[in-house]
Amino acid sequence: MTALRSGRVLAGAVLIACVALCALFAPLLAHDPGEQDLLSILLPPGSPGFVLGTDSLGRDQLARLLFGAQLALLVALTAACGAAILGTVLAHIAGYFGGFIDWLISRAVEVWLSFPPVILSLILMVGLGTGADKVVLAIVLVDWTRFCRVLRAEVLVTVRRDYVTAARLAGFSHMQTLLHEVLPATLPLLITLLSLEMGIAVIVEAVLSFVGLGVTAEQVAWGQMIADARANFAQAPWTVLLPMAAIFITVTGFNLLGDGLRRSLDVRLSVARSV
Amino acid sequence: MVAGQRVPVIRQLSFELMPGRILGVVGESGAGKSMIGNAIAHALPPGFSVTSGSLLLDNEDLVHLAPARRRALLGRDIAFIAQEPMTALNPVLTIGAQFNEHLRRLSIAERRERALQLLDAVHLRDGAALLRRYPHQLSGGMCQRVLIAMAFAGRPRLIVADEPTTALDVTIQARIVQLIAELQHNADTSVLFITHDLRLASRICDDILVLYSGRAVEQGRAGQLLAEPAHPYTRCLQLASPTISGKRSVLAALPDRMPGLLEAAALQGCRFAPRCPIAQNDCAATDPPDHRIGASHQVACHHSERTRGIAVTAAPDVPAVGGGAPLLRLDDVGKQFRAGWRSSGTWAVRATSFTIDAGEFVGLVGESGSGKSTLARLIMGLERTSTGTIMLGARDVTHATQADARHRLHWAQMVFQDTQSALNPRRRVGDIVTQTLQAGRHAIRRAQRMDRARVLLAEVGLPAEFVERYPAQLSGGQRQRVNIARALCAAPRLLVADEIVSGLDVSVQAQLLALLQRLRAELGIALLFISHDLSVVRHLCERVLVMHQGAIVEQGPTERVFAAPRDNYTRRLLAAVPPDDPAQPWRPFPDEAETTPAAVLPRAAAAAPSG
Repeated sequence: MTALRSGRVLAGAVLIACVALCALFAPLLAHDPGEQDLLSILLPPGSPGFVLGTDSLGRDQLARLLFGAQLALLVALTAACGAAILGTVLAHIAGYFGGFIDWLISRAVEVWLSFPPVILSLILMVGLGTGADKVVLAIVLVDWTRFCRVLRAEVLVTVRRDYVTAARLAGFSHMQTLLHEVLPATLPLLITLLSLEMGIAVIVEAVLSFVGLGVTAEQVAWGQMIADARANFAQAPWTVLLPMAAIFITVTGFNLLGDGLRRSLDVRLSVARSV
Repeated sequence: MVAGQRVPVIRQLSFELMPGRILGVVGESGAGKSMIGNAIAHALPPGFSVTSGSLLLDNEDLVHLAPARRRALLGRDIAFIAQEPMTALNPVLTIGAQFNEHLRRLSIAERRERALQLLDAVHLRDGAALLRRYPHQLSGGMCQRVLIAMAFAGRPRLIVADEPTTALDVTIQARIVQLIAELQHNADTSVLFITHDLRLASRICDDILVLYSGRAVEQGRAGQLLAEPAHPYTRCLQLASPTISGKRSVLAALPDRMPGLLEAAALQGCRFAPRCPIAQNDCAATDPPDHRIGASHQVACHHSERTRGIAVTAAPDVPAVGGGAPLLRLDDVGKQFRAGWRSSGTWAVRATSFTIDAGEFVGLVGESGSGKSTLARLIMGLERTSTGTIMLGARDVTHATQADARHRLHWAQMVFQDTQSALNPRRRVGDIVTQTLQAGRHAIRRAQRMDRARVLLAEVGLPAEFVERYPAQLSGGQRQRVNIARALCAAPRLLVADEIVSGLDVSVQAQLLALLQRLRAELGIALLFISHDLSVVRHLCERVLVMHQGAIVEQGPTERVFAAPRDNYTRRLLAAVPPDDPAQPWRPFPDEAETTPAAVLPRAAAAAPSG
């Protein structure tokens, strides 16, 4: 695959792989993130026993970061996939069948997009209650429009191609035509959007946790860590900066990956390059 | 000129263009014709450069010119006429504003005067109104006229016209070509006319240069070169394009295609040798030098004296079409498109009736926008009819239901024009051609489908190993064969082919036409052949339908319609085709946008061999 040879894709993939490994082996690398040690609060990074220091309740920062990565990646993966599936299905239905169905779906997307996304997810979270699954649901319900809007345009272009007409003339059902002829053409764009969406999902999850509408108190989330450490920012800035850095690295990874894939998979860009 | 791995694109090319003459550069795609124009404009694609030789314009070398001097020359002393008129004009500026750019040397007061003069010279009606219009408000033919007027605006010494009529309808093509000749004659400008159409070139050019794989294989006076082509390639080009009059003959279908840049560089001797019908042993060994065979006629061939021996064989008689019930019957078919639900709509096809019998080849001709393609889509059930009935065999398929679609599968299939769009780039050839077997709930296993695919590929003359290839790995002609193979998969009785040879080179076109004729002989297939090229239709079809503004204005046996057209529009279409004999005058009808009709003398005959 030529796509994998690009620098951006490689850099993004390496960053994501590092975060993923940390999340995967969190139980081996660190002890209980909830364990409080009130005798050693707000220790700076490098203290004996606490490589990255402790927070205001004396909890191990490293453990919290690693377990936070678990949650962040889990939410990013499931939410992005959920939004992608919902958006892609609707985009293909709208673009392929056109007419009234297209009108209906397009108007729904427009109405959806007219709500500010953060407010919409906050309202959803208030209604749904807290919990990682609720965070995923909120992101899916808000962000499916990203996929739907962009992919619908791509589907519209593809269905005008003669090979789609030829497939219909060969007796393909609508489902077969969509799966064999249309989807392969939209897949590169879908993969790119998926990668970018994961970055967005990490941020949204952090924002929701930050305002206290994300996960339950027992779970560790980066956004929650920042919220907890705010009060002690002056004495212990690392307690805020470390989770921020974690978010930054993860989102950068997804964005680099997405942008790299876009550059490698986009036919228009590759044509311009090959001349 | 050299690319990437330092491969020559153009080799040992020298020619002279005298003031006031038109030189035609003729060649198939990939021959390097456009490179000549690009080199003159100093607009070679990145990676290409002129590595040796010089390009002299009145003793000034265009290759090694100071940029400032080049800017002064280009656009003023050297003007260009582009292939795509619609994209060559800036869509956000009025015609008048764009004219001013070409008339910088004049005072503002004089510019308008001169622009009107120029528009009048290209026979455009109402120039003053035209100057206020935007390009999208003009037709393609009008845009090309405007571009020609602009090219002549600076009174250039040289005009480079790169396929200026390829994107236009035949009737407009005829007038545009004449217009260039007429203006050139009046302004005494030299024109470098780049084209793939030998017959068109013979019509307006004084001299012709035939390019093959980057080498000028033959050049000389147009009349002489066409009357007695010395290079076998020129002769084959001539014999590969169907004629518009006289007896129908078998087209010379050259095997294979022109070698690509890398293949060509690997060839030792004459690059045409692998395809040459008269090649000898020494042809593959040494590259032939240019040698003179007349006062101004030179050729690069070891055995040019044998070229005359390449013979024409008369076409075999068309097998009699089996009577019985017609395969396809259209009764009063019409199609109305509505812009909105309240508009009255326009009729793309109106009250059309005709039949096609089993094994019959029927041509459908007309200009773009005449409703040809809509008619094809109606037959294929891709559009619903507004009026009338369509019968395929004994079944009424007017309403295009699911059951009709299943019936149609084995009766009529469509071959699409643009292979880029018609073949899914992400599917393998084997999967593409056996789509029909994959369809529905009774899908057949892939291994079995590939067996069928190999049979189909053999039928259209492609090697069996192509089943695993992707369309991007095939040439244009090969892709069109895949396109035909797909249509044949369900063994239909009728093929509907929409302009399937229009984008192809003449030698590839001849191969495909031969393939269609062979399919009729072997499978007894019938064909509705939609085309704007009357010579091709005459060659292939025994019956022709002429379509104009959605209606069939004339139909009948091809020979009868072409020899004695009854409808005015048919006459007009026929007049737009240059006659086979270069000595015969060509008098295309003026089109709607014109002021005065003009008759132009046949150039090849009128031009005295001098200078």
